[in-house]
Amino acid sequence: MSRQLAHLSDEALVLLAARSEDSALAELYDRYGRTAYGLALRVLRDPALAEDAVQDAFLAVWRTAAKFVPERGKASTWILTLVHRRAVDAVRREQRRRAESLDPATEPSVEGVEEDAWLRLQRERVQEALRRLPDAQREALELAYYGGFSQSELAERLGQPLGTIKSRMFSGLSRMRELLGEPGTEKSWTSTT
Amino acid sequence: MDLHDLTAAYALDALDADETEAYERHLAQCEQCREQLAELNETAGALAFGAVAPAPPARLRSAILEGAAAERTNVVPLLRRRWVARGLAVAAAVAACVVVGFVVWAARPGPKHVVAVVKVGPDRRATLTVTGLPDAPHGKIYEAWVIPARTGKPRPAGLFPGPGGIVHLRGALPRHAVVAVTVERAPGVPAPTTRPIITAYT
Repeated sequence: MSRQLAHLSDEALVLLAARSEDSALAELYDRYGRTAYGLALRVLRDPALAEDAVQDAFLAVWRTAAKFVPERGKASTWILTLVHRRAVDAVRREQRRRAESLDPATEPSVEGVEEDAWLRLQRERVQEALRRLPDAQREALELAYYGGFSQSELAERLGQPLGTIKSRMFSGLSRMRELLGEPGTEKSWTSTT
Repeated sequence: MDLHDLTAAYALDALDADETEAYERHLAQCEQCREQLAELNETAGALAFGAVAPAPPARLRSAILEGAAAERTNVVPLLRRRWVARGLAVAAAVAACVVVGFVVWAARPGPKHVVAVVKVGPDRRATLTVTGLPDAPHGKIYEAWVIPARTGKPRPAGLFPGPGGIVHLRGALPRHAVVAVTVERAPGVPAPTTRPIITAYT
C-alpha cells in the first residue's frame, strides 16, 4: 500500500503525515521501524518495553508531524530521537538496567538476525566509527546512548568528575561526526522489497 | 553549571529532568548552542543505526497504524509536555509566549514550504506568522480563522495579502482552538468559502 510513496523523501513523508496521510506514516515505519525497534531493544533489553517505546514514538510522529522543521535536521534523526527519548525515559523509570552489569556481552547478538544490506552497512559504519574512538570516549557514548545513563550516573559509575564525563561525551560525538564524514553523507533510501 | 557544556549530553539524552529543563531554557536564548546541537543531534541520531536490529513483530506495525487511525479524528493533538518544551526550545528563541502549533501545507505543487506558526501569549492573545505563501491571486485575500474546539464554528480573525507576515488574531484564542487560513474574495468574507490552505492545531 505504502510502496507508492517509496520515491518520496523522508521529509516529504513527514509533511504528508502532518496532513493525516496514514500511508505516509506506514512508509516511515517501513523505513525506520526496524532501526527504531533495534535501538529501543538495545536500551531497554526487553522486547515488550521496546515495542511500547516504538509505538509511542511513532504515534508522537503522527501527532506532531506538523511541528517538524526540515531546516532543523533530517526527518530520520527526528524520528529516532523520539524513539530514543522514550526508551531512555522508560529505562530510567523501570530501573531495569541498574541491576545489570555493564558487560557489553549483553548486547543482543547479531547472529540469526536477517537484515537488509543497507541496514547492515549502516551498522558496520557506525560500529567502525565507534571502534576508532579512544576507549574512554567510546565508553561514555555507549553508556549514555545505549545504556540510558545520565551524565551524573556515569560520573558516579566510572568514578570520574562530571566535567570529565561531559568532555568525553563532547569529544566523542565530535570525533564520531568527523569519522562518519558528516554532514556530507546523506543516507539515501533504497527500497528493500 | 555552565549550560554551554551540556549540548553533547542533551543530544545523547543524558541529562536528568532538571538539567534538561535548564538547558532548554538556555537553548532558547543561545544561537551558538542551537547550531551546535543541530550538528551533534545528527551524529547522536546516527548511533541509532549502530544497534543490532532484529525485525520487530508484525503486530507492532499494525498497532501503530491502528492507533494513528483512531487518533486521526481527534482535533487536538495532545503533545507530550517534554516534547513540547524541547520543540519550543529548538524552534526559536521566543520570549514570554508559547508556540502551540504549526502546520505545513504546500499551497501548490512545488518545492516551497509554507510554514505557519501560532504563538499564544499568557493572555491568550495570539499571532499567526506565515512564510512562503505566494501572493494572493488578483481580487483575493488570505483570511485567517479561529475555530474554537467547543463550537467548531470558524470566526474571522484577520486578513493578509501574502506572501506572509504576522497576523494578530482578533480576539482571545480559546484553548485547543484550530487556526486556519483560506483564500477568500477581497476584502474578506464572514465565513470561509474554500478549503483551508493552512490548518494549525493549538
